[in-house]
Amino acid sequence: MIVSLALRNLKLNKFRTILSMIGIVIGVFAICAMGMVSAGFTDEMNNMISDTADTLTLSPLGEKVVGGATAVGFSEKDIRNIESATKSVTKGYDLVPYYSSQKPVTIGKEMTFASVYGLDSNDMSRLVTLVSGTWPKGGTNVIVGEQFAEDNDLRIGSRISFLGINGQEITCRVVGIMENTGMLTFGISTDSAVLGTTEWYTSIVGNNHGLYDSIIIKAQDPLELSAIDAAIEKKMNGKEDKDSDNTVMIINSYELMDIFDELMNMSSLFTTIISAISLLVAAVAITNVMLMSVKERTREVGILRSIGTYRSQILQMFLYEAGLIGLIGSVLGVVMALIVSPIFMMIMGLEFTAMFSVSVLSYVPLGVAVGLVVCLISGLYPAWKAANLNPVEAMSTD
Amino acid sequence: MDDAPVVELIDVSKVYQMKAGDVVALNHVNFSVKRGEFVAIMGPSGSGKSTLMNMIGCLDVPTSGTIKINGVSTTDMTDDELTEHRLNTIGFIFQKFNLISLLTAYENVEYPLILKYGQRDHSERVKKLLTMVGFTEDRMQHTPYELSGGQQQRVSIARALANDPTFLLCDEPTGNLDSKMSTQIMEILSDLHKQGRTLVMVTHNPETAEYADRVIVIRDGEIVAEE
Repeated sequence: MIVSLALRNLKLNKFRTILSMIGIVIGVFAICAMGMVSAGFTDEMNNMISDTADTLTLSPLGEKVVGGATAVGFSEKDIRNIESATKSVTKGYDLVPYYSSQKPVTIGKEMTFASVYGLDSNDMSRLVTLVSGTWPKGGTNVIVGEQFAEDNDLRIGSRISFLGINGQEITCRVVGIMENTGMLTFGISTDSAVLGTTEWYTSIVGNNHGLYDSIIIKAQDPLELSAIDAAIEKKMNGKEDKDSDNTVMIINSYELMDIFDELMNMSSLFTTIISAISLLVAAVAITNVMLMSVKERTREVGILRSIGTYRSQILQMFLYEAGLIGLIGSVLGVVMALIVSPIFMMIMGLEFTAMFSVSVLSYVPLGVAVGLVVCLISGLYPAWKAANLNPVEAMSTD
Repeated sequence: MDDAPVVELIDVSKVYQMKAGDVVALNHVNFSVKRGEFVAIMGPSGSGKSTLMNMIGCLDVPTSGTIKINGVSTTDMTDDELTEHRLNTIGFIFQKFNLISLLTAYENVEYPLILKYGQRDHSERVKKLLTMVGFTEDRMQHTPYELSGGQQQRVSIARALANDPTFLLCDEPTGNLDSKMSTQIMEILSDLHKQGRTLVMVTHNPETAEYADRVIVIRDGEIVAEE
């Protein structure tokens, strides 16, 4: 009966109820929509780069004169220096030098471009993961990225062909498929990659005078990356050297992740503040509406009290009202957020399926809970006031 | 316990502290109401009869002296204990009917039962009570706005009887009714008295007071006559 009284009063003052509900709808919607979109975005970013968050990517700077020609790359001597600098920090590391470039590739009758990589067959498993097939051990065997295979209808045993350095056509056999790393990655992005041994690469692109195009260093403990970074900087760039002055550019994926995390944290703090403000406004509106309701129903409260309704029941009645406004309002807000967030996510270039991650959907119960709690807190003072009315005085008001 | 008065006032005073000075609303009042009695309290407005009614109705407690309801003093009762008395021991009938406008006639009568038992009435008690005060079944679903003053007062009598109280407390029960309606309502109250109910009625109307066994006249907070 107490609940039904609360319900009937809300229905009686439909317009006022709806107005006060709009505040909480907007507040909860703001929290949920912003939270969901930013959670979806963070998820997507983490998926893209988390795998490579433990790497240093070294790119060569400055030209070298090798055998009378100028070229850019890491020499064997550079690699030895870099490795010794790394060793001075930790023993738990992988250092992989590799070749890379873009080459046209013919698949059936179609021609497309691929990122081609050449590295020692022992190093391959340190940088990429196979989803099927085997590692290429030599000859013209290659592995391709999952996305590349899908785009070009390739499977294990498929043939693709390149033009070799001497102009002859070299047909290669796909022996394995690599796991996707995503486009936003440091080092090797497998999405459009064809990867083979150093010898294979040399036969197609050449060996760049024996200079490697990049070096990837992975540390078992990502926290050591900064120290390794500094040691290499000091060794390679800090000292005057005839061959290598400012020879290396280092990208520390862990630090980038840090910066990225910080940016995401700042943006989520920002959205939280905006949502909190809108909820505060909603709370004030609800307190106001509830106080009006108490004032209007003073006589009713007096009657209820005089015929034997306990203080706690009057308190309950008004809290039910506030809670109902909160529950309905926040459910509406969450539903709106569920409709609008995917649209925003798609505008930001995320997949629709990004909606269904745990961190995004956790905003559903969170939104309802926050809306409900805000309403109950806003209703507390008016309800307390109603419960403590003097029945005799309350009954004599009109 | 059966011999104990239903209501007993021992040297009851009520003083309201105002900025302009204390106002003595009741001054050392003594009387008692026995089981089965119909007592009218008469007096002009400002005589203190409303204050008296509020204290008998457990809506207020005396400044000094003792009010005993069923032999138990209300002076040291907590708000919840006073509320429990209002729910179970006293049946209120007000001048302005004081029905809950959001509820139908049926629900108004059912309300005290729900408060007491925590569930809806399945015993047909509500229907019996409303039939007794002259309500037809379809009228029971009307809200107070759709009922005349006399009908509203009938609902409020039924509501007062819902929890089978020890006594009925009537505050000017015919004050807002025309003479024809007044007579009907007083007949109902008189019947209830004949069935053995205890009634305490506050009024300023000598005609309604005639239905009572005993009339207590109060003026300026003191009992001036008892007949």
